[in-house]
Amino acid sequence: MSPQTRVTQLKWRLEDALVATKRRVIPSEIYQSPPSWVGYLLISPGVLLVSSLFVGLLILTWYSFLTFDPFEFIVYELTTESWTEFLTEPAYYGIFWRTLSLSALITVLSVGLAFPYAYLTIRVRSAFMRKTLLVGLFVPFFTGIIVRAYGWLIVLGKNGLVNAVLGVFGIGPVRFIGTKAGVVIGLLQIMIPYAIIMLAPAIQSIDRSLERAAQNLGANPIMTFRTVVIPLAKPGIAGASIVVFTITSATFAIPGIIGAGRVDFMANLIFKTLFSLTNYPLASSFSLGLVAVTSTIILIIFYLVGTGTLGISLEGEE
Amino acid sequence: MSRRRGSSVDWIFNRTRSAHIEYPLLTSFVALEIIFLLIPTLIVVFVSLESRSVVIFPPSSLSLRWYAQIPNHPQYIEAFIRSVEVAVMCTLLAIPIGISTGIGLIRYDIRFGNVIQVYLLLPFTVPLVVSGVILLILFGRLGVIGELWTVGIALTIINIPFMIWSVTSRVNALNPELEHAAKNLGADELQTFIYVTLPSIMPGVITGSLIMFVLGMNEFIVSLIITTPQIVTLPVELYTAIRANISPLIAAIASIYVIVAFITVYLADRIVGLEEFLRS
Repeated sequence: MSPQTRVTQLKWRLEDALVATKRRVIPSEIYQSPPSWVGYLLISPGVLLVSSLFVGLLILTWYSFLTFDPFEFIVYELTTESWTEFLTEPAYYGIFWRTLSLSALITVLSVGLAFPYAYLTIRVRSAFMRKTLLVGLFVPFFTGIIVRAYGWLIVLGKNGLVNAVLGVFGIGPVRFIGTKAGVVIGLLQIMIPYAIIMLAPAIQSIDRSLERAAQNLGANPIMTFRTVVIPLAKPGIAGASIVVFTITSATFAIPGIIGAGRVDFMANLIFKTLFSLTNYPLASSFSLGLVAVTSTIILIIFYLVGTGTLGISLEGEE
Repeated sequence: MSRRRGSSVDWIFNRTRSAHIEYPLLTSFVALEIIFLLIPTLIVVFVSLESRSVVIFPPSSLSLRWYAQIPNHPQYIEAFIRSVEVAVMCTLLAIPIGISTGIGLIRYDIRFGNVIQVYLLLPFTVPLVVSGVILLILFGRLGVIGELWTVGIALTIINIPFMIWSVTSRVNALNPELEHAAKNLGADELQTFIYVTLPSIMPGVITGSLIMFVLGMNEFIVSLIITTPQIVTLPVELYTAIRANISPLIAAIASIYVIVAFITVYLADRIVGLEEFLRS
């Protein structure tokens, strides 16, 4: 017997043993007509895992009504103190408002900037160019937020690349670190790849002959874009907006590092409340406020433009 | 899958033929965007080659001395190992969970299947910082804060939708008749699963694993919230270091991530094709 046959035989024997054990453990009747409880059993690990977050949201709700004590941290007495503090303290809702308005700005800018990129990636014929575009998209995407934030410190810092270039022309130094502009630049670079990934499938599904037809009928490229491509890509635009808005409104690293504590977002506020003030009830109410506002905005987008590419993936690709 | 993999002659031919650019205006605009996207990534590698100990432009002379310095700072190496450990752990956990959830959702008649699918997206709809707070409280109440496996579990929870997504789309694409045929020919359910189902959903599993691993290596905010100083992962360690000072040593360590990203992109392209990632 050649060693190869022996390996194959061993594999078969192992398989037979496995099948035999399985038959003994699981009665074969369940396969005759697969009852749905097998399905429920199969999905239960995933559902359980996700349920920890659901349970967590309930616990957060409970925590947000507990009493904060600087010495004992949490006193198990119900109060609406945290919510009152959250809603009446201008510094807190100021940060809330900044988070939402900058997130909206970044959503519009990054979806707008991602569109030409996604369009070219899908439509370009040259394989080399498509590969370049895909690498330019995925290398930053896979690099991680901290490394990129660090990269921006080097690019935008006082002695950084941008100021070195501006210095040659006798301009500057311009301050980016600790400013809104710096944070917006940093966040755009994080969010554009997400937007491209969400837009691309929608653009892919647009029948190219429609664009040709528009052009044959005398539309110039800009008109074709505005009247054919963009309306048909609406599901992708909705999906991209939702993803970018959700991630931006919860972002921590870029405001923390580029904003240098001067352009805090909700996430930075929650972190500070948790670890500097150790005020769990207040941090819980901030967290719930963030969840509530972002979900409301997502629902509004759903209502206005439909579920978009997110919905298509939910239904499965039939 | 439409992957073009011609000979190198073909490649050169195609490249020269496309010397006339199809969308000149669009291309030049997108070229600027590529620079914008890549600059903060590549500059880290560039700065790590600086020979002096300060980061100033333009760099003086290039050297690898900061890479040689890494072994003298064991805290970064330990943090790196911990990052790999939690990333491997969350990937290994996600594979069976993703496969069984994907098959359960698509192949079995589940009531409120659509609702459950939406429910399974909860980790995406809950902002990461809030997930961090939730897990801090949960792990805190269980008294397990400060143990490395908690980070692995946390990463599995927040990223599991990626795995379920990529597996589900593959199960969807698999014709059930193939499985029936195998069973008609006498294959046991287990054999059908191993020889028919598993191979055809494998690309989805690989894509999902790759995403899980890379996201696990890079995960920051949840780890920042739930780790104690003894179990910090590399992104958290880097964050602390960046706040302290900007030295080329940090750049050298951060460059590891850029290199990992390039390897991932290369592997993803070889195994499933980068275009696949734009299809879901």
